[in-house]
Amino acid sequence: MSISSAGLENPADALEPDPSADTALEKAVAGRSPVQQAMEQLRRDRVAVTCAIIIVLFVVLALLAPVITWLWGVSWKTPSGDVVLSSTDFDGLPIVGPPKGDFTWEHPLGLSPALARDNLALWLYGARTSIGVALVATIASTIIGITVGLIGGFARGTLETVVNWTINFFLSLPFILVALILAPIVIGYYGSEPGKLTVAQFASLLFVLSVFGWMPLARLIRGEVLSLREREFVQAARVIGVPTRTILRRELLPNLVAPIIVFFSLSMPTFVSAEAGLAYLGIGVTGYPSWGQTINDAMAANAFNTYPLYLWAPILGVLALVVALNLLGDAVRDAFDPKTRR
Amino acid sequence: MRLKRTATALAAASLLAVAACGGGGGSEDSSDRQTLGEGGNAGSGQDAEAEAPAADVEGATAGGTITVNANVAPETLDPTRAYYTDSTAIMSGLVTRSLTQYKYDAETKEMVLVPDMATDLGQASDDNKTWTFTLREGLKYEDGTDVKAEDVAYAIKRSFAVEELPDGPTYNQTFFLDGDTYKGPFQDGDDYAGVETSGNDITIKMARPFGDMAYYASFPSFTAIPQAKDTNPDAYGNKPLATGPYKFESYQKGQSLTLVKNDQWDPATDTTRHQYADEYQFNFSQDQTKIDNVVLDDQGVGQTTINYTPIAPSVYDRAQESGRLAIGTQPCTFMWYIDNTKITDDKVRQALAWAYPYRAAWRAGGYIEGVTRAPSTSILPPGTAGRETFEAIEGQDGQTTDPAKAKALLKEAGAEGFEIKWPYQTDLPESVKAKDVQAQALTAAGFKATPVAATSDTIRALQSDASADLNIRSQGWCSDWPSGGSWFPAILDGGLVGQEGMPNKAQFKQADADEQQDKILDTLAGTEANDAWGSFDKFISQKYHPVVTIGYGGVALVHGSKIGGVGIDNVRGEPTYSDLYVKK
Repeated sequence: MSISSAGLENPADALEPDPSADTALEKAVAGRSPVQQAMEQLRRDRVAVTCAIIIVLFVVLALLAPVITWLWGVSWKTPSGDVVLSSTDFDGLPIVGPPKGDFTWEHPLGLSPALARDNLALWLYGARTSIGVALVATIASTIIGITVGLIGGFARGTLETVVNWTINFFLSLPFILVALILAPIVIGYYGSEPGKLTVAQFASLLFVLSVFGWMPLARLIRGEVLSLREREFVQAARVIGVPTRTILRRELLPNLVAPIIVFFSLSMPTFVSAEAGLAYLGIGVTGYPSWGQTINDAMAANAFNTYPLYLWAPILGVLALVVALNLLGDAVRDAFDPKTRR
Repeated sequence: MRLKRTATALAAASLLAVAACGGGGGSEDSSDRQTLGEGGNAGSGQDAEAEAPAADVEGATAGGTITVNANVAPETLDPTRAYYTDSTAIMSGLVTRSLTQYKYDAETKEMVLVPDMATDLGQASDDNKTWTFTLREGLKYEDGTDVKAEDVAYAIKRSFAVEELPDGPTYNQTFFLDGDTYKGPFQDGDDYAGVETSGNDITIKMARPFGDMAYYASFPSFTAIPQAKDTNPDAYGNKPLATGPYKFESYQKGQSLTLVKNDQWDPATDTTRHQYADEYQFNFSQDQTKIDNVVLDDQGVGQTTINYTPIAPSVYDRAQESGRLAIGTQPCTFMWYIDNTKITDDKVRQALAWAYPYRAAWRAGGYIEGVTRAPSTSILPPGTAGRETFEAIEGQDGQTTDPAKAKALLKEAGAEGFEIKWPYQTDLPESVKAKDVQAQALTAAGFKATPVAATSDTIRALQSDASADLNIRSQGWCSDWPSGGSWFPAILDGGLVGQEGMPNKAQFKQADADEQQDKILDTLAGTEANDAWGSFDKFISQKYHPVVTIGYGGVALVHGSKIGGVGIDNVRGEPTYSDLYVKK
């Protein structure tokens, strides 16, 4: 799976500010920034609003996971051996709840095969992992991307070469390979400390996702900066002796808000799928629920035939979240792009 | 012998029956479920008079291609190195003949040791220190040349070359003359005094009495290898010269193996094998879910397919309904080896036996109670000659978990909160699940549970490293032949402590135990030795509790509707390959 944002493949022309459109709009609606205009359009976009509601719902469920599981009296943790034996049949399939028992409100999504963990709790905590990892990785890669992009675009000489070389270097590293190599190293280091291991796995997962997610944004920003830095307002600032740092922050960054927001919204879904994919391959986090792990386990247990609910719950979770994030991301891009503004 | 899953060392052949794996009945609501029956001999029977050719399998027809799928892959198919259950079964069943072999008796469902390339089961001198095998007439390689006694002698010498050809059986070093000094033909040349040939006779000399030689001679390392063809020992295993009914057509390590008929094989010289199918197609490293479904769906090629990977529990019901499930035993005991140098208090070791969640760990680990795992008490699995039935700790029947008893013992020992460190594989879901249940149970019993994460690639090295920060190592062992002689000297001998590769994973070293072992090895043979091993098992289990036995093994294999002649080779826990045929 690739984590480069497909929607940003050719972003430079889509996002190039169109001064004529801006001026035209400014005349009609005085005093509204491009961001405000975009937000206005988003509010009118029914797809975007629906997706936003779905995403908010997911976030709320993820945030409230401990509360909901506590209220429901369920837990994702492995029950005692006696409970495992009394809740599952000889072949590991649960006899409490589907597929071998009747539906029960105590475990509305059933129990997991072999370990008899509650699927509702697994799903809710899986949503936490997915959204949490994707959010942190997106923020981290956005920050790295902005910083490197600004420096790469504004610097000259050796620094520029170094930055460009770095971007290309990271683009050429095979993401999956690094993830595959890193997982056993982390296990080797922290294998004997179960608590630290989960933390280290989270850290390495975030590291891999962030380190391989920032390059598209950096390139995009650098392209923008290259064209902006020759503009009059930048040159004027330079002439009156504004420090470079302030020019970057005050003059350039505000002009880059649109591509950054678009990148951010389109990165989220790719990170959600990447996290699930890595967990499915067994190189994500272990010892904490995630949708990818549940899907992997369901596939191994032949759940497709014997216990579809166990397989479909996390798949639908990933699917709904990724589709909603993607559609919202598309809507955001459309809203910020004067050419596609409706 | 080692189990096919690399993490589990296995010794294959218990010659007696893996009997008594009667299973605890499992869950109450499926009492009609097929389980392992009582009885069984795991190859302990012998028939020196077996005649060639082998009697036809009832209803067998010729022709067709048999597909064999597995989720694992043999590391090597070199006859000298084949020491895993799968590689041994494939090579001995179809490709390489050896001095002796096991024959499947369809009536009793037992494996019986019979002569193969030799005319009988070997003639031993009175002190069991010299064994003579006589080669049959009319044996040929796939290229049409005659098999000579010198070739068998060369194959035996070759099996001393553990540096060039690692992982094979290691009894040469323990029992054979100069076993500790001769390093094989590649380093020390052809000049080895332990093997002599004269005409068709091959004489093997021992350093210490070796009553089980006839069983040991059934391993593929006792085949015939012409020295002239063995120019590169690394590559020989890619296309070993066939003496059996099938020969290599193509072999992709880790992926596939195609066997076709060997027209030089003469059934009139073979007591065990048949040549029904035209071709065998092995597919290794397959996805378990996929291969289970291919066979259960029974469409197209699935009809002529058999899996040697045991069926996943979740489709067991479906497999049984299809009527195409073969279950059988495996002479294996799975153990938690307690590091006796780190857990020195016997009360703590006993507490572990009460704390271990036997049945829940089978369920979580993907084993079917009463089918692929059965409660274990003695270290020797059922079917081993001379095995005694006993409980190492009174009341512990191999499936009872009693945290209260464990707590009481820990309290007596003053070791509450004792930390247990054992490894698991993060990339194997079954291993992770079993770990969860084990951790839960240990904590409930008053231990501190610290599972140590490893991966499939690293767990073997970790478990073989005596300096690793572990005090429990989890592994299985299977009989190489059904006597304690293929168990205790190989895995619980004090002399092995400190050896490279950690063969004695319990670091078990007690003067009185080692003394008894030496006495059995040096002075006893035959039934006396077998019985002595049975008593030895009881002695160390009840006095020292060096391991927690966590289950005996079994297999449940599915096959397509057009595969006939399916039996379980209970020496190895594999299909009886040479009896298979494609139904018309």
